[in-house]
Amino acid sequence: MTTIAATASAAAGPTGQASPKRRRRRTWPVVLLLLGPAALLIVVFILAPAVYGAYLSLTNTQLTGFAARDPQFVGVDNYTYLLSNSEFLASLGRTGEFVLYSAIIGQTVLGMTAAVLLARPWVRGKGLVGAAILMPMVVPEVVASLAWASVLSNNSAGTLNRLTGLFGADATDWLQVVPLASVVVVNIWRGIAFAMIMFQAALEDVPGELIEAARMDGATALQIFRFVTLPLIRGPVFLYLLLTTISTIGAFGLVYFLTQGGPGGRTTISAIYIYERALQFSQIGIGSAASMILLALVLVLGLVYVRLAKVEV
Amino acid sequence: MTAVTSRREPSPAADLTAPRRKRRLTSIDVVKRVLGYMLIALLIVFCVVPFAWVVLSAVDANAGPNVQAPSLSLDNFVHFFTDSGTPRLLVNSLVIGVGATALNLVLGLAGGYALARFEFRGRRLFMFGILLVRVVPAPATIVALYLIMVKLELTNTLHGLILVEAVLQLPITLWLLKGTVSAVPIELEEAAWLDGSTRIQAIRRVVLPLVGPGLGAAAMLTFMGVWGDFLTPLVMLQSQELYPLSIGLFRAFSEHNQVDWGLLAASSVVYMAPPAILYVFVRKHLLRSSLGGALKG
Repeated sequence: MTTIAATASAAAGPTGQASPKRRRRRTWPVVLLLLGPAALLIVVFILAPAVYGAYLSLTNTQLTGFAARDPQFVGVDNYTYLLSNSEFLASLGRTGEFVLYSAIIGQTVLGMTAAVLLARPWVRGKGLVGAAILMPMVVPEVVASLAWASVLSNNSAGTLNRLTGLFGADATDWLQVVPLASVVVVNIWRGIAFAMIMFQAALEDVPGELIEAARMDGATALQIFRFVTLPLIRGPVFLYLLLTTISTIGAFGLVYFLTQGGPGGRTTISAIYIYERALQFSQIGIGSAASMILLALVLVLGLVYVRLAKVEV
Repeated sequence: MTAVTSRREPSPAADLTAPRRKRRLTSIDVVKRVLGYMLIALLIVFCVVPFAWVVLSAVDANAGPNVQAPSLSLDNFVHFFTDSGTPRLLVNSLVIGVGATALNLVLGLAGGYALARFEFRGRRLFMFGILLVRVVPAPATIVALYLIMVKLELTNTLHGLILVEAVLQLPITLWLLKGTVSAVPIELEEAAWLDGSTRIQAIRRVVLPLVGPGLGAAAMLTFMGVWGDFLTPLVMLQSQELYPLSIGLFRAFSEHNQVDWGLLAASSVVYMAPPAILYVFVRKHLLRSSLGGALKG
């Protein structure tokens, strides 16, 4: 149908009397005028890059040098190269580890802990606790990275080294010795708040009567959480896992700022691999093919998300 | 974790409203509470301690790369605002942030109104499409986006970056404003039409005053997104005089030999202040925007 959405009363209104055909003719110009610019720009700057990237991934385009003049169509060469390239496969593996440890395990466990604790009626100063946990999410990526650069600093006066020094450990250059674990911790730190907010919203919907009934029946707090609360918030938790997985696959700034992919490529997650290949080694074709593989992985997850979210438009 | 609130009353509803009854805590309750507070304390320490260096060094005239007791002074901030390079970073960040937000809101309000008030073919597809687009990781499209920008001769310009940033945040704004406009009863507009207003006049006089809060939330979310963006300016801008704070800080930090730590920390404080302040106002909208805008939080 045409014109005014979602109002039954529109039929009684002044526009309701016009014939559907006339209304349609009047609707399209207005819609194009209002939505057209936004739609066009989204197509040019969001959709076109994805499509153009798919094309580029089938060529040997380079930013500079010989192939920059005259890029050739190379079919799926870039893909076969990547899928047999240990460096790229390792970057995918690192992305998987990064997502698993930081998002799926770390953020979820700590976010749930924070949400459950803050739901306790006896906790004082909830506002302040919440604000403290939210700080890491609110500040810009670059500030977060800079803050952690001082924590992970290699000299003996670095914050973490001072802490481990209390237990008698020697100063460690964390970003050199355990680079991936370091950026995983940083990413957990940044993501606790989002997990907490999601889980708090979910926990609010759990009816208190059910918890009460379980308690009457003599269930321990842990049993209540495991057998009553968790099944009830399974949906939101799953949705959160999907969301955090998708966004963590695209993580770039935090890791790039702290390690630039090093040392020796040990923190080169896929996003950094793409950036290096395409914009530093100027191999646009290979970088684009890597992008497409990453994009395919995320789009599958995204479709699941859109289906599960059951949004109403 | 606990079994603390006194739940003697038979009716749970009464229980919720009644003030908690004072009851002697059992020793198990005490242990649980102590453990709970210890966990909370650990979480707070983990979340807040990394900021120690930024905050302490910003007010330390002799700041180094590590946490140390500051010699309280505002020298670093004075440097930040008087140095040759750093005020430029702030100005660029503001120009990009404000410009992109303004453009984003104009496009978003017009589009959101169309999506809310007109039923047309492809509307649902469009809404789902821009929702799905939000899951695409920026690093996966940045290369092709860069080449498109090169062809449009928009790389290494502030207006090019403003345009891209405004559009990248557009899907959230459209979702948010579509919902906001839908919440304004159409009857109000119809009344204005009957009084002789044109459609545009009705939007200006009736809709615009009522969508203020949604518009404000969209503005703040867009501004925060653009302000904090690192990858897009990193790829799009090459000239130092165009750098926003994010890139300026990154470059300053990467020059390993001659880092002015105090200045770096002061810049960070200046850089993190706007989103930290804005955050207070957009707290309840942040969940929706983080991915998709479709979550019923």
